Amino acid sequence: MAELHATADTHAGGEGAHGTVATYVRIAVVLTVLTAIEVATLYTPGIPHAVLVISLLAMSLVKFALVVGFYMHLRYDSPILRALFVGPLLIAIAIILALMALFSAFILLPRP
Amino acid sequence: MADHAATHAAHDPNMGITGIDHRKMGMWAFLGSDCMFFGALIGTYLSYKGKSLGGPTPHEIFNIPLTSISAFVLLMSSVWMVLALNYLRLNNMRWAKFWILMTALFGAWFVGNQVYEFNQFVDEGLTLQTSLFGSSFFTLTGFHGAHVTGGVIWLLSLWVLANMGKLGPQDYLKVEIAGLYWHFVDIVWIAIFTLVYLIP
Repeated sequence: MAELHATADTHAGGEGAHGTVATYVRIAVVLTVLTAIEVATLYTPGIPHAVLVISLLAMSLVKFALVVGFYMHLRYDSPILRALFVGPLLIAIAIILALMALFSAFILLPRP
Repeated sequence: MADHAATHAAHDPNMGITGIDHRKMGMWAFLGSDCMFFGALIGTYLSYKGKSLGGPTPHEIFNIPLTSISAFVLLMSSVWMVLALNYLRLNNMRWAKFWILMTALFGAWFVGNQVYEFNQFVDEGLTLQTSLFGSSFFTLTGFHGAHVTGGVIWLLSLWVLANMGKLGPQDYLKVEIAGLYWHFVDIVWIAIFTLVYLIP
């Protein structure tokens, strides 16, 4: 029931179902800073390969989650929509890992 | 809950028993399937990485400063999109139209950068047929570029309709669905930018 009210609120344009302009701008700043750090990391000498890859993946994951959660409103939307997106996303990640395993492609570990 | 949902559905043919508009749920289902599509393309690119028999290699050919600008442009277009939706919700059509147009223009800027980048790569000897890197790179980024181009056309259509007075605050959901698609192409680029361009 609460879910229905939340959805009805979304359609009626209720304030609770959306972020504010200030929130959107703050997230934009975070996204910009993270992108700048990502690029800077690439040009910073001496970072071990595994650390570089893990930090780039982590920053990318944070950017991804911020856009999906706040800009796509999935944070405020129905759990049904969340499941519709997150389920296939997990399958997509499984596809990527399966293909990499099939072709012995490692981006984190050095080749034997 | 079921009674409430059924009453809701009886009034609006687009409203399902879950209380979620069919069009919005359809878009999320499509985006989920598109996730798997891009997952397959990204997986293939990463699987072929470093296995090409000849050059040019990614390290030799990528123009990271240009691609970083493209990533920034697409991120900003996502911000413009949420601003457009915000002003539409507030019944401010003037600013809603402005931000829809800005979103489309930034999308077109991204596509322009990609066309320039592709031309540079072809000039330097990398084509779809050159190597495993060439085929997997152009297929992945080309499909993403096609998605962005489709989004630009969609947004420009909304902007034209808004200027003709055929799109207003009552059409919030239509713009929201276009926005969902637009943010999706942005998050796909977030993944491509890191996995294809940045990870050495």
